[in-house]
Amino acid sequence: MASTEGDRKVRISKIAGRYLVFDIDDVAYIRREHGICAVFTGTMPQNPTQNVFLGLPLELYAEDAKMLLDRKVAYIADDPLEHLNKLKSMDDETRKSYLQSIKTQRRNAQLVFDEAKAQSQARHKDKRKPKQQLQVPVVVPTELPPASVNDDAATTTVEQKEEESLFGESSSKPAPAASQKPPVKEKLPAITPTTSNAMLSSDDGTSNPADVENHTALPLYSYLNESGYFITPGLRFGGDFSVYPGDPFRYHAHYMANSYGWDEKIPMLDLVTSGRLGTAVKKSFLMGGQKPATGDSEAGELRAFCIEWAGM
Amino acid sequence: MSVDKHIQSLTKVVVNNLENQHDWTQVQIHNQDNLPRPLLYGLPPKRLYVHPDEQIEIIKAEKELNERIPQEPELEWVLPLHLAEKWSIADFSAVFDAITAIPPGGESVNISEDAHWQLWRGPKRGKRILLATVQDDSTVTYYWMHNGLVKPRQN
Repeated sequence: MASTEGDRKVRISKIAGRYLVFDIDDVAYIRREHGICAVFTGTMPQNPTQNVFLGLPLELYAEDAKMLLDRKVAYIADDPLEHLNKLKSMDDETRKSYLQSIKTQRRNAQLVFDEAKAQSQARHKDKRKPKQQLQVPVVVPTELPPASVNDDAATTTVEQKEEESLFGESSSKPAPAASQKPPVKEKLPAITPTTSNAMLSSDDGTSNPADVENHTALPLYSYLNESGYFITPGLRFGGDFSVYPGDPFRYHAHYMANSYGWDEKIPMLDLVTSGRLGTAVKKSFLMGGQKPATGDSEAGELRAFCIEWAGM
Repeated sequence: MSVDKHIQSLTKVVVNNLENQHDWTQVQIHNQDNLPRPLLYGLPPKRLYVHPDEQIEIIKAEKELNERIPQEPELEWVLPLHLAEKWSIADFSAVFDAITAIPPGGESVNISEDAHWQLWRGPKRGKRILLATVQDDSTVTYYWMHNGLVKPRQN
């Protein structure tokens, strides 16, 4: 929500123990500046079972969230709680500006529709011309049913009412409702807002900062991240993480990594099988752990080892 | 003590396997106070490990010289282990902290600073140990373990 990169605070929504980012600018920012890819988990409402092209929200590892929190570039919002609080405590001003932002979005959508319609009309015109010259009576190819606009208008009014009711039966309802409701003739298309970012104010997140739990792999994770590596889930290669020497769009992974406790006993069979598997997928198996802090040293050293098949 | 005996026989199995199956020479048992168990080192019949960056430098040098550069084998460390054992990061760290990158007597004498590829046999060589994992049926599997982040070879 912040205007400049310098004081940008990424809003991480904590929902059901998962850390999600809903703002596309934040997603680009943490990937560019902090080397965090994480995983897109959102699918399309029209086709919820497809999982090839996923979009917002971005799901972070607890380690990612903790790292961003420690770098003071993010805050964790306990979303179920905060969402309700926000809706209840929303004043007239914010409410109006939110409704206005929705309207702007719908206008933009209308512009896009109009443009697409004009384009398709132009295309069909070109197609029709030669046929008309041949003097053959042809059935004009039907364009996108214009009825959709009327449908939209119908749903628009319904949706408007729903949006209004979203904010409860406040006493101030009738007056703004009358002024906000666009004339039916405007025929704006109905939209489904994917985020409610417009409801957030810039000083958000300072009130009740939540913390991150269960980040056992953090030492290895942040060590790799600070060394410039990108990390994605490693299940497809048989480890906890797959580790890339740069953005995964450009590089193959170098390592499949597992994080262990300093004194955690690792069966040799695990090392042999992981080493073999890593070599089979042209990677090195990386194991790492952090020495627990002792009296004289604050943060223990992190040790990492790489295993690959010796070829004999 | 029975643990010592177990390690002794484990070491013996690995020495035999290295010498007789893999044709290693000069296999020595290396004892040191700060080592949890004796290590081995020896000379493989051909060079066992070439770092990917080193490989690039060798190819560059070969292009310049217009001839192949023969790769002499190097002395390597070996850690005998049994498949049923469980080691922690702390245990492996102790072993790596106790050793030098190059086993005793393996230091190359004539490294010229101009030939970059030669540095990988001297100051640029990282610590690495060959894990020799013995199974009950006396199968021995060998895996490299490198200290720190070492990128995989292009195989």
